[in-house]
Amino acid sequence: MASRSELSAFLESVERRAFKQAVFAVRDEEAALDIVQDAMLRLAEKYGHRPAEELPLLFHRIAQNAIRDWFRRQKVRSLWTTLLSSLAPGRGEDEDQDPLETLQATDGSNFQEAPAEQLERAQVLEIIEQELARLPARQRQAFVMRYWEELDVAETARVMGCSEGSVKTHCSRAAHALAAALKARGITL
Amino acid sequence: MNEYQFGDKIRHILNQGLSLDSRKAARLQAARELALARKRPEPVGVLASAGVWAGNMVGDFGGWTGLSLRLLVPIAMLLIGLGAIYTWQQNQRAAEVEEIDTQLLTGDLPIDAYLDRGFQNYLKTRAAEE
Repeated sequence: MASRSELSAFLESVERRAFKQAVFAVRDEEAALDIVQDAMLRLAEKYGHRPAEELPLLFHRIAQNAIRDWFRRQKVRSLWTTLLSSLAPGRGEDEDQDPLETLQATDGSNFQEAPAEQLERAQVLEIIEQELARLPARQRQAFVMRYWEELDVAETARVMGCSEGSVKTHCSRAAHALAAALKARGITL
Repeated sequence: MNEYQFGDKIRHILNQGLSLDSRKAARLQAARELALARKRPEPVGVLASAGVWAGNMVGDFGGWTGLSLRLLVPIAMLLIGLGAIYTWQQNQRAAEVEEIDTQLLTGDLPIDAYLDRGFQNYLKTRAAEE
C-alpha cells in the first residue's frame, strides 16, 4: 500500500507532465490545472490505498478520463452558448503566430547555454508542444504515454483502454506525423 | 532515426519544458496537498489490530486483575457451549441404547435367540436365498 510520502512523491514527480499533457489536450491552462487537481483528488480518495507501483497507471487512466469529462462538459456547455461562442475565449489563439519567422533549424549538437541558444531551444520546445497538441487525440495520448511517460505497450493499452496493436499503430502514426510536421517547420532533431 | 530514437529525443526536449511559473507551481502544490489530505486513512494491519484487540482484552492495568469481561464472557460461553454439546451427545447415546433395548424386550422373538449361533446362520442363509 502506498504510504502518504510515496503518494506525495509520486504526485510531485508526475504533476508537471500531467499538466502539460492536459494543456496539449484541452489547450487551456486553467482547465488543465483543474483537470490535474481533479485527477490527483480522485487518485488519493479512491486509490490511495493501492500499492505504489500501481499508481502511475491508475493516475494516467484517471487523468485521461478527466480530460474526456472536460470535453463532455464543454460539449454540453457549447450547446447552450452557441450564440455567444464568438465571445468565448479562443482555444487556438497561440496558433496565429508563425514559428518559421523566428526559428532557425538546430542541429541539437551544441548545448552551450548561450542566450541565443537558450531561446532557440525554447522555441523548438514550443513548436514541439504545438505540434503535439495538433496531433489527433488518440495518437498524441499513445505517443506521450509511450515516449514521455515511458510506459510499455501493454501499460499504454491499459491506460487507453484499447489493444496493444492499436497503441503501436497510434504511436507509429504520431511519430511520423510529428516528424513530418517538425521537418516542415525546419526542425531536425 | 527510428521511432524509439525519435521518441527519446522528443522526451528529452519535453522534459526541458517542465518548469512552470510560480503561480502554476503553487496551484499544483496546493492540489497535491489537498489530495494528500483526502487520502483514505491507512487500514490498521492484522498484527497491529491483533495487538489492539489483545490490549483491550487485558485492559489498561495489565495482569490478571485487568482482564475485562470482553475476554471472560466469550470463554465462559464457549465452556457452557461445550458442556451443552457433551450432555446432548450423552443423552442421544442413552436414547439409542434405550430404543434398542425396548425393541429387543418388546419383540416376539425371545432374547436368547440373538445369542444362538444356529439362529444367526438361519437368518444368513434365508437372506441369501431371498
